[in-house]
Amino acid sequence: MSIALRGVTKQFGEYAAVENINLDVATGALMALLGPSGSGKTTLLRIIGGLETPDEGQVLFNGQDATLWPIGDRKVGFVFQQYALFRHMTVFENVAFGLKVKRRRERPTAAAIRKKVQDLLALVQLSWAHDRFPAQLSGGQRQRVALARAMAIDPQVLLLDEPFGALDSQVRHELRRWLRRLHDELHFTSIIVTHDQQEAIEVADTVVVLNRGRIEQVGIPGEIYDLPKSAFVHRFLGQVNELPVLLRDGRAYVGPIDISAAAEVQTGSANNIALIRPHEIEIGPAASGWPATVVAVRVIGPIVRLDLCAAGQPVHEPLEAEIGRERFEAERFTIGQKVGLRFRRWQVYPDAA
Amino acid sequence: MGRLLLIVTALLFLCLFLVLPLLAVFAQALAKGFAAYFIAISQPMAWAAVKLTLLVAAIAVPLNLIFGVAAAWAVAKFDFRGKSALITLIDLPFAVSPVIAGMIFILVFGTHGWFGGFLKAHHIRVVFAVPGIVLATIFVTFPFIARELIPVMQAQGKDDEETALSLGATGWQTFWRVTLPNIRWGLLYGVLLCNARAMGEFGAVSVVSGHIRGVTNTMPLHVEILYNEYNYSAAFAVASLLALLALLTLAGKSILEWRQPELRHAARRPRDRTRRANP
Repeated sequence: MSIALRGVTKQFGEYAAVENINLDVATGALMALLGPSGSGKTTLLRIIGGLETPDEGQVLFNGQDATLWPIGDRKVGFVFQQYALFRHMTVFENVAFGLKVKRRRERPTAAAIRKKVQDLLALVQLSWAHDRFPAQLSGGQRQRVALARAMAIDPQVLLLDEPFGALDSQVRHELRRWLRRLHDELHFTSIIVTHDQQEAIEVADTVVVLNRGRIEQVGIPGEIYDLPKSAFVHRFLGQVNELPVLLRDGRAYVGPIDISAAAEVQTGSANNIALIRPHEIEIGPAASGWPATVVAVRVIGPIVRLDLCAAGQPVHEPLEAEIGRERFEAERFTIGQKVGLRFRRWQVYPDAA
Repeated sequence: MGRLLLIVTALLFLCLFLVLPLLAVFAQALAKGFAAYFIAISQPMAWAAVKLTLLVAAIAVPLNLIFGVAAAWAVAKFDFRGKSALITLIDLPFAVSPVIAGMIFILVFGTHGWFGGFLKAHHIRVVFAVPGIVLATIFVTFPFIARELIPVMQAQGKDDEETALSLGATGWQTFWRVTLPNIRWGLLYGVLLCNARAMGEFGAVSVVSGHIRGVTNTMPLHVEILYNEYNYSAAFAVASLLALLALLTLAGKSILEWRQPELRHAARRPRDRTRRANP
């Protein structure tokens, strides 16, 4: 099912949770709504699911106006961060709930319900757990039960609200990959809310970055990461070094490095900042580029992070650079070593903050 | 040393103010032997008081059950204007002296009260009759169940209900199959407390009852009448019945609490919504 939002606005008292949102979700897409807390991503998900009614605008399901459809008629499967399993019911009863509450005419027979629940539990690899209570399962297992329960009603859309937020990073990683595989097999439309950029990039086809109730950027994961349209998106999608852009004689500089060549530099306006990701900093011999001193070295598995104190920069705000382990093994940077910095890439934005 | 002193002080205090009076009630009740005790509690007037007390509790507790669940549901699951005013109103009977509560009903339903003329014209007796006693009891006991349920329901949040609705359940199905099982222990606890107070209420009931023996005397009122007539052993005999009802209630409550830890443990979900740092 395709979903479209047209001018959706929702206020909570004085506070605008989402403002004039226009968005299209294609049938079978897996879209991530990414943003910090308070960005309106959960409100948007709840509006699509029918848990909130927008003050203005429309929600279209397959082109039909579904704005005021009751939640039970929408055929949406919800998965919450805290699982929301019915704790007085066994795993089996949890998954069967959506089938058992159907009107008598539409309700499958007891045997059909049992068959369907067993199939779903097999799908989420929890067949062994069907007599357990939620309290007897781990977080990852509970979330899989919640997913099976949501899928029992054959939803057209799966809405996931920070589904892996309460789990350990290892389990989270596994479940993400599993969800992606499941989505590719079953082809329902899914929308996942997350504040974790890595999760959004890893799992989704399309990422929507939200900030203060507005859409900042919509794009495929690579595009969002490589070509952020605003400083907010650039910052939110990963570590960045922020450096002021200085204007001298009609040319733009970051430290002693001339960045005027970049087309996007608006030499006219005074306050610009350059955002540079850690892996975009090139570390060379002391004589080349911006003179700097290595002040910290952290080896994190395959990558190595270096804190660099560049000449003319405040000592308590070192730049962060990231290099591969092989490179590090070859060069053996040590604390106190003098180096020279160059930038492989950078992006310049007007400094709004 | 200091700890021992504290424990001994607390125990002495408990004995003096709780255990001793309770023992005294039963000792006094049985002072003239078992035969006299059974004669005293099988008096028709005593029986009428017992029956009235049970009747009043049987009406007041279910009504407050419905009210309490509805109020707690509204407060815990919805946001609306005047919510804090509603919570304050629910607490009102705790804040107001029961005697004043009784007088309010005299003022409203008494012969010279606001609806006095109307009620007299239709031959409905409220004050100095059973309906008045029931009304006063409901007023005094209505916070118990709501107060017990509000924190339970608030702690559980709305996720379960929203999930049930999204799975196609009706509001009614959601209540019976999801909400009620989640609150059942808190609810039972509230009902027990409400019941204990409904049977023991003196002040408000005393004002509206009119003390008509065999007709509008509840057990606490009957005890007082017997006591004022210097009929000590009979007074204490009836009092001992009342105390027994209270003890049964407490026993029920203890059984619940004894059962609850495992259930609470099972029910506890991580409520902290702290965001983990991005890996």
